Amino acid sequence: MRTLVRILLRFSEKIVDQPITSQVILEHGIPISIVAAHIDSQGGEILAEVPATHVEKIIDAFREKGVIVTVPKLIEVDTEKCFECGACLSLCPVSAIAFKEDFSVVFDEEKCIGSPCGLCVDACPARAIRLVEQHGSYSNK
Amino acid sequence: MKKLVESRGIEVAYKEVDVVTTGTFGAMCSSGAIINLGHSDPPIKIQRAWINDVEICHPGAAVDLYIGATIMSETRPFEYGGGHVIEDLISGKEVELRATAYGTDCYPRTKLRTTLTKDDLNQFYLLNFRNCYQRYNCATNSRDETIYTYMGKLLPRFRNATFSGSGGLNPLINDPDYETIGVGTRIFLGGGQGYVIGEGTQHDPRNSFGTLMVRGDCKKMSSEFIHGASFTKYGTTLYVGIGIPIPILNEELAKKTAILDEEILTDIVDYGIPRRERPKLGKVSYKELKSGAITIGDKKVKVSPLSSLKTARKIAETLKSWIENSSFYLTSPVERLPTDTICRPMKQTEEIAFVNSVMHPAVTCTEDEEIKTVANKIISHSVNHIVVADDQGKLKGIVTSWDVTKAVAEGKKKLADIIVRKVVTTKPDESLEAASRKMAQHQISALPVIDHDKKVLGIITSEDISKLIGR
Repeated sequence: MRTLVRILLRFSEKIVDQPITSQVILEHGIPISIVAAHIDSQGGEILAEVPATHVEKIIDAFREKGVIVTVPKLIEVDTEKCFECGACLSLCPVSAIAFKEDFSVVFDEEKCIGSPCGLCVDACPARAIRLVEQHGSYSNK
Repeated sequence: MKKLVESRGIEVAYKEVDVVTTGTFGAMCSSGAIINLGHSDPPIKIQRAWINDVEICHPGAAVDLYIGATIMSETRPFEYGGGHVIEDLISGKEVELRATAYGTDCYPRTKLRTTLTKDDLNQFYLLNFRNCYQRYNCATNSRDETIYTYMGKLLPRFRNATFSGSGGLNPLINDPDYETIGVGTRIFLGGGQGYVIGEGTQHDPRNSFGTLMVRGDCKKMSSEFIHGASFTKYGTTLYVGIGIPIPILNEELAKKTAILDEEILTDIVDYGIPRRERPKLGKVSYKELKSGAITIGDKKVKVSPLSSLKTARKIAETLKSWIENSSFYLTSPVERLPTDTICRPMKQTEEIAFVNSVMHPAVTCTEDEEIKTVANKIISHSVNHIVVADDQGKLKGIVTSWDVTKAVAEGKKKLADIIVRKVVTTKPDESLEAASRKMAQHQISALPVIDHDKKVLGIITSEDISKLIGR
């Protein structure tokens, strides 16, 4: 099981100017690291990582403050099926897939956004890329 | 060879190197396998056959079949096809064969169902009529939508590009005058040994688009170098690994095999335009292509290979080790391949209609007009679509008679509230077939015709197309 769980936070226009993430961190004393964020006056989205042990509590805390929380699916690469063509590389907006010097394909789970993106999945000629649920039974209300 | 020529010159390289090995591993659609099943009892003259629900061609006598790489499964189209059947058989898996026939006095049986592995087949030969392109286009997409092509998934507005082939490691680029590669050349094919049996179809050596026809024993191949593959919304294919040894017979060949990725140029081609002559947007070298990003106009664009460069290198290295340990012997060709053929376009006897032959002027309005004015235009011109344009005539949206009716029913007054801003469009040189496919896909009945600057040139409607067909 993953020690950290990724959650996607969506802030509406009404609450986007409030320091909600900081409040949740302070109230619960649990570290939340931000993987990716896009925020403007119309609203915002943050992809955050929280410890698996406290994920339910954190999700509830954000929801109480009016944030829409989803648990995105993550990309899983079946290395048995992958024949390292690299067709997926140019589709990844965050360069989570890259070549090593010998043209081996390496996938960086930490950088990957998961299901909010998923652009690479249907581009794989080997059908080696899947979107999978994060382990655990986190609610996707 | 490339490094040696650079550091010590051609003369030294010619003296020291006997053979240069090359390799490529990519999607090669014109591939397939011939199988012979042996006879059933009572015997059958197969008319139609399927393996794992993939229809198999029947090119010869009673029980000879050809598994085409691009034929898709009838139950799992776009996911499983002939290429996968070939890979499954090579890797030792059991497959299911179904066949039907009309029945004759000598072959009375009309139905057959059995399971097979490669060991049950008399012959199982890869027989590919176009493989191993010398180089290939770099593909990108100008359209406003993602397209799915044989060059992979291409994001809208040049957001990515793809290419194929292994550049300086590619077999034919290293022997561009076909001095050593010809009919009878022994090659690495799919992990086993095969032969060049001629030039491939569409062989176009004068434009550096040479191809090969090859044959090899599948029973001796490995699924590491033969893979079925699926291109979303395009179809299935076969990835084929080919390696060719090039004996360095003269100094000229030493020079030719020293070719570098930066010396091999190819066109960046806009696959967003579905025509035979797709627009070329510039040239790019394989060095740039392998770097992960290219420049199109003033934009930096990420680029993906569709071939595995890692496997291509492994093929060249494997072939080298085979030659070193005497398990592979070079052959000299028994016949040279043509060096002057070109790939001609198809002769067509039917005129194909394009958008510009049926488009007509669009009735337009601007964003600040009242709904009532627009309603009057619909009635006075008796049309269903009003194209919204700005002062420069550039497309801003579209309004249909249905949108106007709905606005009246809901008491809306402002045109801005009902304009459909995400408009599906066409261009004058698009074929009518492609335009009508767009209308069907998006369930709409008209397409504004625009130029590359989004300027409105006219409109075509589904009525125009039905009139043309009814003519």
